[in-house]
Amino acid sequence: MRCKKFERLLLRSFDELLKEEEKNELKKHLESCVHCQIKREQYQSILDALKEKDFPEPKPYFWERLQPKLTGGKKYDAWSIWKQWALRAIPASMLLVILFTAAIILFIPPQSEELSESGDLLLRNLDPLQETSILLEEEKLEDKNMMLIFTAMEEKNSTGRYLP
Amino acid sequence: MEEKELVRLSKEGDEEAFASLVKKYKTKVFNLAWSLTRDRETADDLAQEAFIKAYIALPTFQFKSEFGTWLYRITVNHVKDFLRKKSKMSKLLFERMKEMPLIQENEMIKKEKEQISEERRKLVHQGLQTIPEKYKVILSLRDIQGFSYEEITNILKISPGTVDSRLHRARKMLRKKLAPFFIQKGGNHEM
Repeated sequence: MRCKKFERLLLRSFDELLKEEEKNELKKHLESCVHCQIKREQYQSILDALKEKDFPEPKPYFWERLQPKLTGGKKYDAWSIWKQWALRAIPASMLLVILFTAAIILFIPPQSEELSESGDLLLRNLDPLQETSILLEEEKLEDKNMMLIFTAMEEKNSTGRYLP
Repeated sequence: MEEKELVRLSKEGDEEAFASLVKKYKTKVFNLAWSLTRDRETADDLAQEAFIKAYIALPTFQFKSEFGTWLYRITVNHVKDFLRKKSKMSKLLFERMKEMPLIQENEMIKKEKEQISEERRKLVHQGLQTIPEKYKVILSLRDIQGFSYEEITNILKISPGTVDSRLHRARKMLRKKLAPFFIQKGGNHEM
């Protein structure tokens, strides 16, 4: 547990962030703890290896190579912005179409269907079988035929049915 | 001409002003990319791309931070994107290095100091490539590039406390990664 605390102090010591009091505390601990001494050596070794003595230079003609790309980059940017918007616009418009269709289906009442002739008669409180029953009730066959002929010749009403 | 003026002119599309900014920052941007990739060709490409991104994004620059800090942030984010794609490859390289026989103590004595130091550097940087990206970035900024805590806070947009804890965790992680290389014959703990 103590070593864990001192490891933190040790790491901060590499950045020179320790107060005088902490420095002395760490120094005292390091004198008595071989484990932390090894750790210090390892950290120091890593940090030394990370520090570069000489960084390489960028390749020559950096600006000359960069300059033509700048205008191209702007074009690319305009294209990428368009692409980005287009990619968002496609699902958005699809969603709108779906919502619009759903709204049409759900909220617009269906148009009233055209009534059948029987339905129309029933609506007008008339018996759709009345004409048939008159014919059937006729006893003489000749009269029946005559009635059928006259019915056919009769001017048809809006329902196209014979009405007495 | 002052940097702010150069930035202002660059925002208006003045390429000469931007050329001056590139001249000032190209080495630092390149080094930042190089410390994270360890490849000159790749670092050069990434530095160029970072400048293109900065040029495109310049109209959005609000002078809320220093231009340099803003540019380094763009560079770090761009390199991070690149590293994400390359991470698997780096891990493989390190695994291959682990399989190589450790340099024996006697052999080490025979070698030139420079050579040993170069080997060590290579190994540490290979190890660096295998740790998670955020730790790699903070180690690169602090221990390779030498940015201050405050600068790192601004570049990464994280609190000073987070810089502190993340940096410590990163160093610990790297030491742990390199642990197999510390222990050698005869109890020598040097790498």
